[in-house]
Amino acid sequence: MTSPVPASPLETPRLRSLFLLCFKIGVLSFGGGLSGWLYREFVLSKRWIDEEDFSSSLAISQMLPGANVVNLVICMGEQLRGPVGALTCVLGFLVGPFFAVVGLCQLFDALAGYPLLPVISDGVAFAAMGLLIIMCVHGVRRAMRFPPSIVTIAVTAILVGIFRFPLIPVACVIAPISVALAWRRI
Amino acid sequence: MRFDTLVAIALVFIPFSLTSIGGGAAIVAGIQHETVTVHAWVNSREFLDLFAVSRAAPGPGMMLATVIGWKVAGWLGAFVATLALFVPSSLLCYSVFKLTNHHRDKKWHRAMREGLAPVGIGLIIAGVLSLFRLADGGVTAFVIAGLSGVILYFAPRFPVLGVLALGGLAAMLASTLSTWVSSL
Repeated sequence: MTSPVPASPLETPRLRSLFLLCFKIGVLSFGGGLSGWLYREFVLSKRWIDEEDFSSSLAISQMLPGANVVNLVICMGEQLRGPVGALTCVLGFLVGPFFAVVGLCQLFDALAGYPLLPVISDGVAFAAMGLLIIMCVHGVRRAMRFPPSIVTIAVTAILVGIFRFPLIPVACVIAPISVALAWRRI
Repeated sequence: MRFDTLVAIALVFIPFSLTSIGGGAAIVAGIQHETVTVHAWVNSREFLDLFAVSRAAPGPGMMLATVIGWKVAGWLGAFVATLALFVPSSLLCYSVFKLTNHHRDKKWHRAMREGLAPVGIGLIIAGVLSLFRLADGGVTAFVIAGLSGVILYFAPRFPVLGVLALGGLAAMLASTLSTWVSSL
């Protein structure tokens, strides 16, 4: 198909290509940090999305609740093919991990008689906590620019993590205060 | 009974979907409290195993809900838990993106982005604390989590699956070693 007028330098992908790309990223996505991968695929290699659209989508995906990558593929899908595109991207992304995680669980149960299994599982969980700690370190470093953010982090962590206050009400009270503080600062 | 369980699963995970600021790591503490303490669907041991499995599998860490659902009510449970955790946040993200993307330079948009980020970080720290309490792993837990953090901090491109495997291996060695020492 040839078009005389190059309306946009960015091409519109087919739904099937969107699904397959998200599926691929989904099954290969170990341990997070996928925004970089999505950037490489959607912006650099396929050239479906431009830089600025990507970074604003990323900001929205990170600030809203939900898995960041899932939110990000929703924004990508919406920009490229509207609501159907967003749905295609989410389904493509989640279908692989859904079966993989249950499969791994079944494998785990099948090995349940093996005495060292709980020990190994603990080790994997501890190592995974390291991943979370890294997220905290990066977040705290970003928050250093504005001291009240550190207070927000500390109060949230102490109330939920140490005093074991229920997470949802705590988040619902602290989030608006934190947004109001950010509003006054900028 | 089975239907009630599915409804209960949905009711537990839907609110978490909308409070998972910063992603699935933020709600580990809450999910643990609901599924271990409140509903007793899994015990502490099983929760830790499921956490490990959900981290070793591909996909977002929020798939923890999927395996809990599977453990409680089979495939249907897994399906309901996954939908409950992903649909509300996805709809919210879709609507917010569609409605506000044109206003992304406005002040209120920046305030929202910058204000919500530290809440998410605080929740993740809470998640780490509650996992440590749950694991009750003593020195081994601190050493493995610390080392894994150090590796990933200084070598961000180090494969995550490799770090998890090393963690499992280290725990196995530590346990074998301590059995061997105590048998001397």
